[in-house]
Amino acid sequence: MKQITIDPITRLEGHGKIEIFLNDDGDVNNVYFQVPELRGFEKFCEGRPVEELSSIVTKICGVCPGCHHMASGKAIDAVFGVEPPPTAKKLRELFYMAHFVHSHIAHFYALAAPDFVVGPTAPAAERNLLGVINKVGVEIGKEVIKQRRIAQEIQALLGGHQTHVVMNIPGGVKKGLTEEQRDDIVKKAEGFIEFGKFSMKLFQDVVLGNKDYVDIILNGPYSLKLHSMGLVDENNKVNFYDGKVRVVDTEGKELYKYSPRDYMEYVEERVEPWSYLKFPYLKKIGWKGFIDGQDSGVYQATPLSRLNAADGMTTPIAQKEYEAMYKILGGKPVHATLAMHWARLVELIYSAEHCLELAQDPDITGTELRAPLGKIVGEGVGTVEAQRGTLTHHYWTDSKGMVTKVNLIVGTTNNNAAICMSIKKAAQGLIKKNMPVTEGTQNMIEMAFRAYDPCFSCATHSLPGQMRMVLNVRNQEGELLQTTRRG
Amino acid sequence: MDRCKDRENQILIMGIGNEHLTDDGIGPKLVGDLQRKSYPIPLKFQTAFLGGLEIVEMIDGYKKVIFIDAIRTKDGIPGSIYHFSPSDFKETLHLSNLHDASFLLALQLGKKIGVKIPEDIDIIAIEIIEDLYFSTSLTRELEDKYPQILEDVDKLLTELIACKSET
Repeated sequence: MKQITIDPITRLEGHGKIEIFLNDDGDVNNVYFQVPELRGFEKFCEGRPVEELSSIVTKICGVCPGCHHMASGKAIDAVFGVEPPPTAKKLRELFYMAHFVHSHIAHFYALAAPDFVVGPTAPAAERNLLGVINKVGVEIGKEVIKQRRIAQEIQALLGGHQTHVVMNIPGGVKKGLTEEQRDDIVKKAEGFIEFGKFSMKLFQDVVLGNKDYVDIILNGPYSLKLHSMGLVDENNKVNFYDGKVRVVDTEGKELYKYSPRDYMEYVEERVEPWSYLKFPYLKKIGWKGFIDGQDSGVYQATPLSRLNAADGMTTPIAQKEYEAMYKILGGKPVHATLAMHWARLVELIYSAEHCLELAQDPDITGTELRAPLGKIVGEGVGTVEAQRGTLTHHYWTDSKGMVTKVNLIVGTTNNNAAICMSIKKAAQGLIKKNMPVTEGTQNMIEMAFRAYDPCFSCATHSLPGQMRMVLNVRNQEGELLQTTRRG
Repeated sequence: MDRCKDRENQILIMGIGNEHLTDDGIGPKLVGDLQRKSYPIPLKFQTAFLGGLEIVEMIDGYKKVIFIDAIRTKDGIPGSIYHFSPSDFKETLHLSNLHDASFLLALQLGKKIGVKIPEDIDIIAIEIIEDLYFSTSLTRELEDKYPQILEDVDKLLTELIACKSET
């Protein structure tokens, strides 16, 4: 048995790695994707007043703190048996749309675009955001940074701080929006829409206009037939903040649609001895192993899955782009992993359009910001769509609202099995027997998991850091045959 | 990008890390204590959670910035204090961001698009023990060493500021 090690994927030695095992013939036999775990979160929360959690959870992860804040706020509302008034709910959503705009811009330009604009096998030193700007021009680079910053400013205005968000309180939000502030957000949201449209056009020109890239997306070793999960509204349209969880099968047929509070009836988590990170699967189907296909219990909860699981978008431009994407890719559902980048851009436009809708809503400057609290129920579930997948917070408290137990299922955890399978499929398709593993091959394997934009800060509670890669090729005796490094 | 004219002559001291993760938040903790001390020139103190593009926006327009971050090195002695500049940068725990840009890339990017990247950047890094466990307390060993760490970082900071003031 030969072994290939890509280690580490965070800046800390040994903190995350991809182990690729070759058989004696030189073919990929198996792949293990391993990440470390932060410990003690549940204990850290236990014994605290539950209303403190919405602020604490923003410090699990600096990448998607707004998602945790929203899921937490909803779970806390449930614990207190209260529904926020319309203005408070819309303010939360407005914040959340800005959070999506900020995050999706960062992912597309910093993580997705380098592989296509600069090229999947280009030298690693050039395959980054700077390389993208060198190709597309400085003015676009300025716009990327500007739009991202504006989205952060909206979050800071509504959330009190762009990262350490302190917006939600049980039953509502801390502060409202003035007419002047609303007018400012309207202008900013109009800018987001234009930038979203521009980004989509860039993707279409650079990616869809290149036959090789289209071939990689559609026919490369990046496709997995898995079930799709996402939050939908009452019309089965994509909704990031609220609604029911809908799961469609590999053919696009609805399997389940359930209230988030019932998630434990539908999702179960599997533990593997080689991974700290759990592997959620569809409970009613059961765990059948790391296999794809209709009989598999594995599902995906990604931007593409959200679109697969829904019947469309609620905003006009996003809906048009949604239809265009499925038309070009041959109809729903789409199982091409790299199409997640396209789906993310459809979502960027949706977030921008919905941001504008909410800012123009007469309720948004209302003054009823909090509903009276009900009786402490003692248990609450809050689910939102995070950028990386469906995010669920589940809290239990005593009769005084002191936390007794916490459970989180975060976006990346939902996709853990799928990420492992995607890496394996890419490695099997790209590593050729008796051929050295080039830096380009290494990157194309990494593209399989980069599409998910996995964030281990909260999934395993590892910390974000520079992507550094070492790839070792060893023979069956463990002797080092080849090393490539990046980062 | 000319966001703050009043930043032009200011020095920013930025502590980065997560104070809920045991030693990970030693940067913000130090900044909290340092800002209670007096220095010959006014300093701006700030804390942050992560680096990458976020950092570029935060340091935009300052004359000088000194980052204080945690670091873990192989066989490093807990409490050791390192001083880097971007030219001899060693990856600290938070200056880069997996989800957008490494620290050095973020600086290059900032310059490319016209952000006023400070002329002088220093990085003070403190060797830590534990950053994977949720706690608002430092590990015992680092807690015991903390008064000395604070004193040494204060001294280094004073030297770096004086150095800048002379230029």
